[in-house]
Amino acid sequence: MWESLFYMNLYEWEGKELLKKHGIATPKGVVVRRGDDFVSKYTELGAKEVVVKAQVLSGKRGKNNGIKFCSSVDEVKRACEQLFSTNIRGQYVAAVLIEEKLVIAGEHYFSIVYDTTTKQPMLIYSEAGGGDIEEVDEKNIGKYLLDIRQETPSSVLPLIGEGESGNVAPSPIRGGVGGGVSAFVQSLWTCFLTEDTRQIEINPLVKTADGRWVAADAKIALDEDAFYRHEEWKNLEPRTMMGRLPTERELAVKKIDEGEGYYRGTAGKYIEMDGDIAILFSGGGASIANMDALIKAGLKPANYTEYSGNPPREKVAALAKIVLSKPGLKGLWIAGGVANFTNIAETFQGIVDAFDEIKPMYPIVVRRAGPFEEEGMRLMKECAERNGLTIQFFGKEKSMSDTAGVLAKLVK
Amino acid sequence: MGILLSEKTKVLIQGITGKEGQKAVKAMSDYHTQVVCGVTPKKGGQEVEGRPVFNSVKEALSVILSPPRRAFGETGGTKDPLNQTERDSSATPAGAQNDKLANVVSAVYVPPFAAKAAILEAVEAGIPLINIIVERIPIKDTAYCLAAAKEKNIRIIGPSSLGFIVPGVGRIGVVGGPLVNEIFQPGSIGVISRSGGMTNELSWQIRKGGLGQSAAVHVGGDLLMGTTYADLLLLFEKDEQTKAVVIFGEHGGSYEFEIVEAIKKKEFTKPLAIYIGGKFANVFPEGMNVGHAGAIVARGQGAAEKEAALASVGVKIAERYEDLVELVKPYV
Repeated sequence: MWESLFYMNLYEWEGKELLKKHGIATPKGVVVRRGDDFVSKYTELGAKEVVVKAQVLSGKRGKNNGIKFCSSVDEVKRACEQLFSTNIRGQYVAAVLIEEKLVIAGEHYFSIVYDTTTKQPMLIYSEAGGGDIEEVDEKNIGKYLLDIRQETPSSVLPLIGEGESGNVAPSPIRGGVGGGVSAFVQSLWTCFLTEDTRQIEINPLVKTADGRWVAADAKIALDEDAFYRHEEWKNLEPRTMMGRLPTERELAVKKIDEGEGYYRGTAGKYIEMDGDIAILFSGGGASIANMDALIKAGLKPANYTEYSGNPPREKVAALAKIVLSKPGLKGLWIAGGVANFTNIAETFQGIVDAFDEIKPMYPIVVRRAGPFEEEGMRLMKECAERNGLTIQFFGKEKSMSDTAGVLAKLVK
Repeated sequence: MGILLSEKTKVLIQGITGKEGQKAVKAMSDYHTQVVCGVTPKKGGQEVEGRPVFNSVKEALSVILSPPRRAFGETGGTKDPLNQTERDSSATPAGAQNDKLANVVSAVYVPPFAAKAAILEAVEAGIPLINIIVERIPIKDTAYCLAAAKEKNIRIIGPSSLGFIVPGVGRIGVVGGPLVNEIFQPGSIGVISRSGGMTNELSWQIRKGGLGQSAAVHVGGDLLMGTTYADLLLLFEKDEQTKAVVIFGEHGGSYEFEIVEAIKKKEFTKPLAIYIGGKFANVFPEGMNVGHAGAIVARGQGAAEKEAALASVGVKIAERYEDLVELVKPYV
């Protein structure tokens, strides 16, 4: 099963595969991995002038030495070796893409993203592509609304007050007969809809000297919540935005929410961090507030974890065991708000299962309230007694942030 | 008086036969809210907690709109809400077309892959207020439903919303859970939260501070919100009971900037305090997705930028969520 947040963003070469599938031209290219024979791959490609690009999950590679232009075997070999030995803006270089160099007549910008004001997809277009779109003057950027219910857009309406011409979309968008959208925009739109993407960005979309439109880059994010209608996503390789390969624990936690009832209580979010305070938070909002509070209290998180939506005992136990398995921990903070419907006894029973097995001897602070809180606290107190654990308990009378301070004192 | 619901509100639950749907019937009727019936395709004819189950929303509406009869299992109030004729405009989005449906709310408790069809069914039927509890609906489906709802002037709260509550009047969904009477009491503070847990936690902080809530709304944590902070502020502005509003926000999206606009246009003039979580996200690389899907780390629209824009129009910024109550206390 496939639903982790770690899989959301596609590498450039993966994005280009999707674009190609929908009839959008991309440069001829080849993907190389660490340990591959770069020279023979380059020779196979059969283009002398090439662009060698680090495959990372972030943009702005050009400014950060992630893109190199080469025209010989030696240059390509050196470029690949260099790229594999660096990381780009904190992102892990998973592969290198070697592509034919295009003869460029113009560089444009195209993207489709969800706009949170209209709550519909928005097409963004600019003739000033190639660089950072953030640095392009607003008046040179056109924004156009698309209606998600139309598989074939009848028109593309510029957002009022924006766009270069004010009311008419420029020809690369219209292009089609009778005011309809251009074939290119239609392909992009079909790709956006059928592949369940959250975002497609092509920068630059190159107009070649011989008059073709070619997507020279692709940044696509998939919607992880649509995994159930995309069997093919299972074949994507694991990834994380943390600037390294996913850790064993991250991969193990991801499996917790797999299976049929994936939406019934989640316990599959875990990001490993550098600190020594283990985290077991419940609730998305509370976990965000608590991370802020933890850092403010001068503590360093060993992980970010959140379970929510009343997960069963088994899911919480599996998560807690993995969280506590990290070496070098100096404390544990179990914190959540006043739950609406999460069963505190059931979720705490899962944590107790992990305590009985691992018996963590560092200080533990618990702050939680909600349905069956008394039974939950009793289960954990009994567990502390039989295993000799140091746990301080707080209910809703003390605020979550204040209990971060309690843990800070115990740890020091 | 509160916002969004009244004593006259009648609820139908889509997905009533599921585990969460069944819990919701109980939670709502335990808090004086009239759950009239439910819908689960192919399970028409069954009963859940004494409520009839229908195959379709259309069929269910024929019951809601039928002549008065006493609701099942009601614990609060003895008057028959169906006999009242007086209209409560705050419970109804402006322009709701069908007066007969004016006080009807659908609460959607179906699995994510069935959500689009269920929501569209409610929209087609013209139900003016739809609460989507479902989490992890694909964003494409959400956008589709929101577009369809907007066309018919239908208000959607959610997706991923646990619901909302008007203390002492009723609740849609399970906000407050079984401890609802320990957390909520009628008062003058409006509560808006991106997080379900924090809706409750924040409401508790208000109660602990000796105050009460006029209404508490969990707007949901998805990137696309059917009803935004600004939408609710306009309702709170009109509500006489509300003297101040507190918001638990998250970084990501442009919703806080809508608040700034509403205040600049004087559409919202009451005291407002906000906490925007997620400052720690700076320790993660760009593009990282933590917590709710709406909380995408996008530089330039981070917590710091939002706080500066909000502070410039007089919104009080809380360093910790616990401070929200103290910030609005002088005004109530």
